Parts: sequence; C-alpha cells; structure tokens
Amino acid sequence: MSTIVTDIAFKRELVRLSGAQLNQCMQCGNCSAVCSLAPAERPFPRKEMVWSGWGLKEKLIGNVDIWLCHQCGDCSSYCPRDVKPADVISAIRQKSYQHYARPRFLGKLVSNPAWLPLAVAIPVAVIIAILSLAGTFRIPDGPVDYSSFFPHGLLNATFSAITLLFYLLASFGIGRFWKDMKRQTPPGEAGMKRLPVFTVLGEILSHSNFSGCTSRKPGRYAHLLLFYGFALLILVTLYAIWATFTDHYPLPLTSTFKIMGNIASVMIYTALGIMTWQRLSNKKVFGKSGYSDWLLLAAIGLLTLSGTMVQLARFGNWQIAYHLYFFHLVAVWFVIMYLPFTKLGHIFYRTTAMLYARSIGRK
Amino acid sequence: MTGAATKHMALAVCTGCDIGRCIDTDQLIDATGQAFQGITCIKHGSLCSPDGQAGLRRTVMEKKVDRLAVAACSPRVMTSAFEVDGLLVERVNLREQLAWVMEPGHEDTRMCAEDQVAMALSKLDAIRTNDPYIPDPVSSDILVVGGGITGLTSALEGARAGYRVHLVERSDRLGGYAGRIHKLLPENLDSASLKEPDLYKLVSEVTGHPGVEIHLETGIRSISGEPGNFEVVIENSQVSTLHIGAVVAATGWKPYAPDKLAALGYGSGRVKTLEEFEQYVQEEQLPNRIMFILCAGSRDEDHLAYCSTFCCGAALKQALYVREKNPGAEVYIVYRDIRTPGFQEGFYKMVQADDAIFMTRGVVEKVDDQGDSVAVTVSQSLLDDLVTIHADMVVLATGMVPNTTTDLQLQYRLGKGLPELEYNFSDSHFICFPYETRRTGIYAAGTVRAPMDMEMSREDGAGAMMKAIQSIECVKRGEAVHPRSGDTTWTELYMERCTDCKRCTEECPFGSYDETEKGTPLPNPARCRRCGICVGSCPERVIGFADFNINSVSAMIKAVSMPDEFEEKPRILVFVCENDAYPALDAAGMNRLKFNPFIRIIPVRCLGSINKVWVSDALSHGYDGILQIGCKPGDNYQCHFIQGSELNEKRGENLQETLETMMLEPERIRTRFVEITDHHGIMAIINEYMEEIDLIGPNPFKSM
Repeated sequence: MSTIVTDIAFKRELVRLSGAQLNQCMQCGNCSAVCSLAPAERPFPRKEMVWSGWGLKEKLIGNVDIWLCHQCGDCSSYCPRDVKPADVISAIRQKSYQHYARPRFLGKLVSNPAWLPLAVAIPVAVIIAILSLAGTFRIPDGPVDYSSFFPHGLLNATFSAITLLFYLLASFGIGRFWKDMKRQTPPGEAGMKRLPVFTVLGEILSHSNFSGCTSRKPGRYAHLLLFYGFALLILVTLYAIWATFTDHYPLPLTSTFKIMGNIASVMIYTALGIMTWQRLSNKKVFGKSGYSDWLLLAAIGLLTLSGTMVQLARFGNWQIAYHLYFFHLVAVWFVIMYLPFTKLGHIFYRTTAMLYARSIGRK
Repeated sequence: MTGAATKHMALAVCTGCDIGRCIDTDQLIDATGQAFQGITCIKHGSLCSPDGQAGLRRTVMEKKVDRLAVAACSPRVMTSAFEVDGLLVERVNLREQLAWVMEPGHEDTRMCAEDQVAMALSKLDAIRTNDPYIPDPVSSDILVVGGGITGLTSALEGARAGYRVHLVERSDRLGGYAGRIHKLLPENLDSASLKEPDLYKLVSEVTGHPGVEIHLETGIRSISGEPGNFEVVIENSQVSTLHIGAVVAATGWKPYAPDKLAALGYGSGRVKTLEEFEQYVQEEQLPNRIMFILCAGSRDEDHLAYCSTFCCGAALKQALYVREKNPGAEVYIVYRDIRTPGFQEGFYKMVQADDAIFMTRGVVEKVDDQGDSVAVTVSQSLLDDLVTIHADMVVLATGMVPNTTTDLQLQYRLGKGLPELEYNFSDSHFICFPYETRRTGIYAAGTVRAPMDMEMSREDGAGAMMKAIQSIECVKRGEAVHPRSGDTTWTELYMERCTDCKRCTEECPFGSYDETEKGTPLPNPARCRRCGICVGSCPERVIGFADFNINSVSAMIKAVSMPDEFEEKPRILVFVCENDAYPALDAAGMNRLKFNPFIRIIPVRCLGSINKVWVSDALSHGYDGILQIGCKPGDNYQCHFIQGSELNEKRGENLQETLETMMLEPERIRTRFVEITDHHGIMAIINEYMEEIDLIGPNPFKSM
C-alpha cells in the first residue's frame, strides 16, 4: 500500500518538456500493447503515463522501465489521444539526468538554453587558463602545428583528468540510481542474477532493441551509424594519444587510423542527417524536439565538423587553424565532459538500467 | 351502418404477377359465381395499374358494390390502391401465399385459391361498417404531471401548439432538480467555460404563457375515464376537477439514497453527494483537495445496476467549480469508466486540459474520515496495486432513481401507476414507440422512464407532448392511436348475454375495462388498442368488432370446402397473427419457399383474440389440425399486445379438455411463436405440423 502525493510542479515540468497533454490520456493501454520492448508483467509506458499525470516523481525518477524504452515512437504513433508517450518518457529521462547530476548545477547547466553561454564559457575559461599557465596562449608562427599551441602531453593530461573527475562525480549519481531502481522495482523471489554483462553488451552492439520498431525504421540504422562512428572515433583518439608518446604524431593522411577517423566522420554526418530529417519531418513520432535533443545533435555535429576542419586546416596550413582547434576543444568538452549530464548520459543510465533489468529477469 | 338487406358483393381477380400463370382465373370466377349467387366478378391483367383501378371503381359505382374481395397480392402491399370510401374491402392473398409458392395448375392449388376466395367473401358477408366511437364530451386539454425541465418543456410545447395545458407540480416551485443547478455544461461543448443556468427562462416562458395553467403544491387525487375524456381530480387547498384529453407523466427522479453508501464514507461531514455539493459550492469555502468518486452505487448489482448517464458530466462540471472557486485546489477523480456520451466528449477533453485535475481509473475500497482528512483506498488502478489518496472532501457521484408514477392515481383495475419496466423505470416503449405506455393517452417522459440528462429531458418533454396531441386528435376522429393507428372499429359488447365473469376485464392488458362491483364490464373504448384479446376471452361470445367478430371468423372457417377422408387431402387451419407471423409468411412467399397447399390461413389481430368457439367450429367442420402462430411472449415482449401469445397458450391448456370430450388427439391444436424476420422458421413450423397430422390421420368428424 502506498500513499499517493501529487507533485503538480513536476507534472507541469513533464508537460513543458514533452508538449504532451498528459491529462488527455485515457489509460487505454494502446501504448503498452504496441511497444515491442514492454515486458509482459507490468508493461510500460501506460503506467508511466498515469504516474506522470499525477506527478508521481518518486515513482518516475529511478524507474528502470523508462530506460528500457529506446524511443522508437510506436506508442506515439498509435496513441488515440495523441498524448505522445514516447515524448513523455523522454521528458522523464531528462528530469532524471538533472536529478542524478552531481554537482547539481552541471545538470541545470546543460538542460536550459538560458545557461548555454555559461556552459560555453566554462570550457573556454578553463582552456584559456591552462594555455595561459603553459604560456602558449597565442597564435604560433610557421606551418600549422597544434602542439605548439596546446602541447599534446598537457592536453591529454588535463582533459583526461577533467573527464575522469566528471565521470567520477557522475558515478555517484549512477550509484543512487541503482539504489532507487532496487527500491522501486525490487528483485522477485528468484533474486538477482550475476550481472549479465555480455547479454547487455550483445544487445547494445547489435541494437536488437531497435528491431521491433515500426514507426521509425531508419532510426535503427542512424543510431547504429552514430554508435559505431562514435566508437571508431574514440578508438582513433586513443590511438592518437598513444601516438603522441611514440613520437609519430601527427598522423599522415594515409595513416590507417586517419582513414578510419574520416570514415567515422562520414558515418556520423550521415547519421545526424537522418536524425535531423526525421525530427523535422515526422511530427507524429517526434512530437516535440526540445533543447536537449537539438543540443546533443548540434554538439556532436559541431564536434565532428570542427574535427574535420582542424584536419583540413593542418594539411592546408589555414590561417584560422588555431581558432578552429580551440573551437574543436570546446566541442570535445561539450560532448565528452558533459556527457553524463546531457541526453548522451543515456550511455551510462540505459546501460545500468539494462543490466539491472536483465539481472532481475525483467525483459 | 350498412343494412344487411342490401349486400352487393363483388370479386376482382388480378392475373398479374404470376397469378394468371399459376391458376385458371376463369375457372376460379366460375366456381365463385356458382357458390355466391348474384356476385359481380371482374378480372384484370394488372389490377393495381391506373387502368385496373379505374375499371374496379367503375364496377363498384355501376353495380353499387358495397363489399369487395380483391384477389391479388398481399394486403400488406398496394393498400391505398384498393381502398374505396364506404366500401368493405377484403384482400385475398393469391400472390405471396399462393401463386409464388404453390404448384401451378395443380388441383390442390386451385382448391386453395377457391377456398381463400370463399373465405374472404364469407367474411365480407358477415361484417359491417360501424360509426366510430368518440367520447362525449371530448376534451383537448392536456395534463402535464411534474414541473421539472421535462414537464416545463412539455407544457410549453403543448401550449405553443395551441392546446390548453394544466401543469401540476407537487412542490411550491417549478424547475425540479434542473432548477437547483448552479451552472450548466457549456452549450458549445468545445469550450470549458460553464454556462449560467437558464432554466428560469423556461420557467418564465411557461408561467407567462396564457395557454398553461400552473397548479403548484398540488397532488392528484384520481385520474379516471379514457383518452379524450379523463376526469382528473386535483387537490391543493381545495379539490377541483379537470376535464383532460391526454396526460404527460414527467414525475422525474430522485438521487440514489446515499445512506446505502456508508461503505463509501457517507455519513461523515466530509463526504457529500453531487446534489449536496451543488449547494455546498454556492455557499461555502472550498478546501484544497477534493475527490470525486464516480459510479458511487451505480453499475453495481448491490445498488443500481445501471448507468445514470448524467453523473460523469456533472462531476466533471463540479470539478471545474472547484478549480474556479479555489484556484489552488487539486481535484482527484476516481472512475470506473468516464462516460461522456455524444458531444459531452468535447467537454471531457476540455476538463482534462486542467492539469490540477487528476484522474485515474480505479475501484474505491475504503473511505476513511481520519479527522483532518479523508483517506481513500483505491485498488485496481495503475497508480499501484493498492493506494491511499488523502482528500479534504469527497463527493460521491450517485445515480438516478425514478420517481414512482403511482402519484397519477389512475383509477384502472391494473394499478394506480404506469407499468414498470426494469429497475422501476416506467413503461415508455410500448412496441418500440418512445413515450408510448400501455395506458393509452398517458405518455411517460424524462427521467421517470430512463436515466437522462437535461438536453434529453427537453427532447423527451417535447416528444411526449407530440404523442399526447396525436392521441387527442385520433380520439376526436374516433381512431385507434397505436399500434392499429387509424382503426375506427371498437369493441362492441352485447351486454344482454354477459354473465359478469370478468374474463375480459381481467385479461385486457391495457386496463380498458372498468367494472362494477358486481363485475359487469364497463368498457372505455378510447383506452382500447383494438387487439381483440377480450374477443378471445369471452366464453359467452358477446364481444366483437364490426369487421372482426365471432361470426366473421366462424364464417371463414366454414367457407372452406372439406374433402372427405378418402381423398387424402387434409385441411389445416392456420391462425396467423397479423403483426409478425403474417409478414413472415409473406416474406417466405417473396423468397419462393414452398407452401403446403392444404393449409388455410386466417389472419387474426392477435393470438389472444382467438376464441375457443372457432377451434370447436373448425374441428367439427372437419379440419385435421389447427395451428396458431404468433409473436414471442415474455418479459421483453415481442407480442404487440403484451399478453396475447401468453394467454393463447394458457387457454390452450383449457382447450385440451374440449378435445378430450370430443375424443380428439391433443396434437390437433398447436401454438407456435415466430419472429417477424424468421420466414424459414415459420415454414418449418408449418411443415413439421403437417407431418405430425399426417401421422395422426384424418379428423373423425370430417365425414359427419
């Protein structure tokens, strides 16, 4: 037996973020019926729609099911009242990033366009501070050599340290999330299994959870392209960091890794193109694309674009090479450092939720 | 009345629509001419064509014909083509029930045609025209009982149509429940702003109309008499008598007694009904958390099993009151289903747009007043398996219970009120006609007959008034109202032979007969539906209509020529109810289902109108079996006269004695029921019966 305490402010936040008229839900359950991912027992998203309508924050934040949703949009397509369950679930996830963000202001920083100047100002200030301390904060002469602007060792050390710091902070949030899931969706009588890491990894690598979707078939391929493009770029970046130690950096255009990086960029451009086109054209499935959606698409797009430009500038000895490089570093910060607090945080939260769900047999 | 001395009969035979191909019509005319001396016979290739009709009318004029048999298609078609003023017309169905379904040129087919024509002519010989019955004096004034929204609308519509209306209201004010309502659902249901109450407009229109006389704080002491001539005794400070033509009963509803809802917390000061809250809103400050429990005591076998249709809309409206009066308040609505019929759906969506109104499906398990708040336990919701919601006040959306109609104080032997249907709602759909009750000239309207909202009540008030007016106008012309609309015959009783056995007064489903203390029937012909159940009931055979009576049917029975037992041509008499069974036979004919040529069909007004004497007449005439086919009896009656089929079955049990004394097998009489749509079924009934009679063998009275 639980006591219901309405939180109208939270309900209004969800309405604002999703653009869905939550009250118009008539609890018919079409959404749960068409969802290819909803478990047979206590399926989502119908119950989440009712909880949202009552502003039951306690039940929604830390709810494992909202992370099992892969936002394919079938529920929204088939909703007879046009209440857009997919967007509501997405809004709950956004509130979750903010809820678990530590320090809290990092969550706020990337969730509201009003804070965007500050969100940009922080990496700008930090990079200027590092460069000023290193004494390299000026445009170097001669052929383009980025290490003369930001020494590679220093770059790798500071950026890695900051990333690790941010992720460490985020891990506390993840820990609390795990506890919340356990409280709200306790394991059944069978108890918890050992963490099914390989099962979940398999699901992620194959994107099998996207396969049942009918409303947004291209979405699966776009996400696959983006996922593997991103993974490839991380691999290339790690190799590049290693290369700075072995002194054969920068890599020539013919380097296998350079080629891989450029292929990855093309994959990402393609993916972003599909995603943007879908968001703009398919209003039934993507009811309301919000700030967090566009911020992520823009950040990844600018990161990749600036990376390509930086590369071209090096080979072409462009005047603005160092400005582009500076811009690229800020974009890196946005995507990588802010990752746990933006929509990209689903990499952590969804993976965690999938691990939990599969370990208690929820599928 | 046409004198029996100057009978000029004629037979018109149509040879169109396969009739001429199936039988030799010249031979038919010859045979008829021999059997009925002096008869005029004509035939035509298409009797219903302009040429055919002109010829027919010319013959009628020239030969001064006053009784005409038309041997053509079913009487259910081409009715106006063969109607001639002042002329008794009998149709012989040679098309649907003969030419289309029997073997052409066969001797049995010929015999059937000759018999059917002879039956019609014998009937014509036995019937007469009559003067219509018109009550004297006849009044066009209309009594409306109940001054709620239905009664007010009804009264205004009647007065506008030019009738004088007496509006009787028990309380000291007009308006009923609708008059106590704070605000109404928006007129344009796409808008969430509630409408100011406007019933006062209707009230002032009614009070201002010179055609309406309002009797407040008035009860009815008695209603006696018949349509067109009701004597209504009303009583307020003094007793007075009104002369009334028709009555609209709009006695309304009351809320379901909330005392029975202690399980939902009623009894606590924090728990109110919709009606109580409607008042409360206008007078008191509203707390911050208010819960509405829908279907409180509705759609529940332990309380009201039905849906009252208005409560969801009313609760949604009251939710808006709360939000308007206390913008900081939250409203919780626990429902089983939200039912917002028709255009109310738009209003429902508007209410949903208010995000401080929280709704969930659920079943309320417990309502517990904890002093500072009410804890409501809800199961079967999606919120959780079992949840508690705290509210400062709970409103129970209780349903509608019809008021009794015994207040009408009808002086009928069948009771003081209207008959009641399921859940005590008054009769109002007598054979599928809204407002029509089994009490002729008395129409039920509004929530007394079914749960409904204000708009429907207005419609009902107007509709019932139209029926009341129709009834008065029919009575003034001496016509039956419904279902035998336009019938001007009526039950005539030969009182000298009446033994006061009371069977007619007891069996009439419409309470047409009053009776003296001694039991002598006092007919009220304007109450009569002309079904003839009393004709069937009378052991002394003193009741009859001018065109349907003991003699007319007996004459038809005896008109059939009876082959002797060695010819192996059995004869089965089939009494067919003209409401459903006869149309089913016609449909069988249209579908060309084979008819047995040994049957002889006599349509009757109702199975209940079949008199025992016809059965013994038929048996002594030599029929081998008698089959009676009528509408299905039972609570959800299909029988157009409610009890006709049932009575026929009951009387059949008594008939078995007659059979025994005649030493006849019980199977020689059979009653069966059929639906109007079941033309295959009616054929099966007849064919099975034929086989059975074949096995029993011929009627031993045949050769006598």
